Amino acid sequence: MHDLLRVTWAVAAKDVLLEFRSRSAFVSALVFTALVLAIFNFARDPTAVSARDLAPGILWITFTFAGMLGLNRAFALERENRALDGLLLSPASRTAVYLGKVLANLAFVGAVEAVALPLFALFFNVPVLPVLGPLVLVIALATLGFVAVGTLMSSMAVNTRLAELMLPVLLLPFLVPPVTSAVQMTAQLFAGRPFSEALGWLRLLVGYDVIFVAACILFFESTIEE
Amino acid sequence: MPQRSGGMPENGGYMVAAYVAAGAIYLIYTALLLRRGRAEK
Amino acid sequence: MTPVESAERALRRAVPWIATSLALIAAVYVRALAFTPAEAAQGPAQKIFYVHVPSAWVAFLAFGIVGGVSLAYLLRKDPRLDLLAESAAEVGMVFTSVVLVTGPIWGKPIWGTWWTWDARLTLTLFLWFVVLAYLVLRGAVNEPERRARYAAVLGILGALLVPFIYASVYLFRTIHPMPVILRAGGPTLPGAMLATLLFSIAVFTLFFGVLLYYRYSLARLADARAHAAAERRDA
Repeated sequence: MHDLLRVTWAVAAKDVLLEFRSRSAFVSALVFTALVLAIFNFARDPTAVSARDLAPGILWITFTFAGMLGLNRAFALERENRALDGLLLSPASRTAVYLGKVLANLAFVGAVEAVALPLFALFFNVPVLPVLGPLVLVIALATLGFVAVGTLMSSMAVNTRLAELMLPVLLLPFLVPPVTSAVQMTAQLFAGRPFSEALGWLRLLVGYDVIFVAACILFFESTIEE
Repeated sequence: MPQRSGGMPENGGYMVAAYVAAGAIYLIYTALLLRRGRAEK
Repeated sequence: MTPVESAERALRRAVPWIATSLALIAAVYVRALAFTPAEAAQGPAQKIFYVHVPSAWVAFLAFGIVGGVSLAYLLRKDPRLDLLAESAAEVGMVFTSVVLVTGPIWGKPIWGTWWTWDARLTLTLFLWFVVLAYLVLRGAVNEPERRARYAAVLGILGALLVPFIYASVYLFRTIHPMPVILRAGGPTLPGAMLATLLFSIAVFTLFFGVLLYYRYSLARLADARAHAAAERRDA
């Protein structure tokens, strides 16, 4: 167990450090966020559609895209340097490699989300601060769900002929439950509705996370065994 | 049991379209499959 | 009998069954269109139900087979299981497509709109996307062993996804009620309509089974041929 944690942390730290040094994916994700903000702002008639109605959906589109950017980058890096082979030759358990990658991806997506959220609050004039606690919980749970499945999918996608193009094809159906839950809960929070009304979605999201994190840990081994 | 009557909506065209579309999809796939089978021999 | 010969024989045996199934489908058509009464409130378009619902049932059956067989493959590593999963996915795709085509054609006259995000249709749509991903993934991997492994993982995860998508749609509709979906004849189907529906379900299930058998035998044949050729090269 101690070994597992140690290796997980090592894998995560290495990935995060690599990304921090190049920063290219992070910058791309932020640029996309700004682009989305600007486009949606000019795409709607302010008197007909309130920013508050659009904000949850747009927020999650941005988070999802940032997530995919991070996911692609993570394994592509490995492939370029054949670094994954080195990892696998080590006695480190496959689970530790998977969890390490998930952690690194969470750090990346989390960083983008941390920057994007205040920007959204600003430009869409949505009341984030009063509901910050529950909102962060929702964001964390949904991000965990799609990063867990996304990490598994990208470990397969990167070894196919289509690589980056393959990831959205594989991943998008799996994003429906967590992102739908997140959007609905976000919308309710922004509308100031009591959190108790969102319990159904919360249960769905937690259930999804539990089942799919467990399944991905179980099946990650099958995506890399030689 | 409901009987055909004058009060029924006139949407038989949709029915025909659906039955034809479904039949076509099934027939075309079956034909393609059989052709692959013949080619493999 | 060599594997090649046994696969060839399976293919030949399947052909009369395919012909029979097609004839039975024609019988379903005749019975549904000419010998089943139309529903008074919905009109003749309601009859699309007799093709749409059995196709949906088969689509989900096929998907369940892909999930179960994928799991069996990961446990047993028998390549035949992989070929079976591949066959079920391909044939299932056809039935799923029919559901997605007939659904809107039924929806337009009955509910006034081509698409409603109702539970069954939405679930079928995402099923379609997952099967598409499955087939695209298979097409994008060259090595047979890795292809089988990857496909199996996707197949199992896809099967796990189904209840969650259903729950998402169900929850969404609870909060955002939409027009009630008219059932074909009210809470219970009148006798003749129920008989037609059951007959149709049986026929389309048989048709699926036959197509699956043929497609699987085709895959076995191609596989056996490839192995035989490789053996000859090595010898």
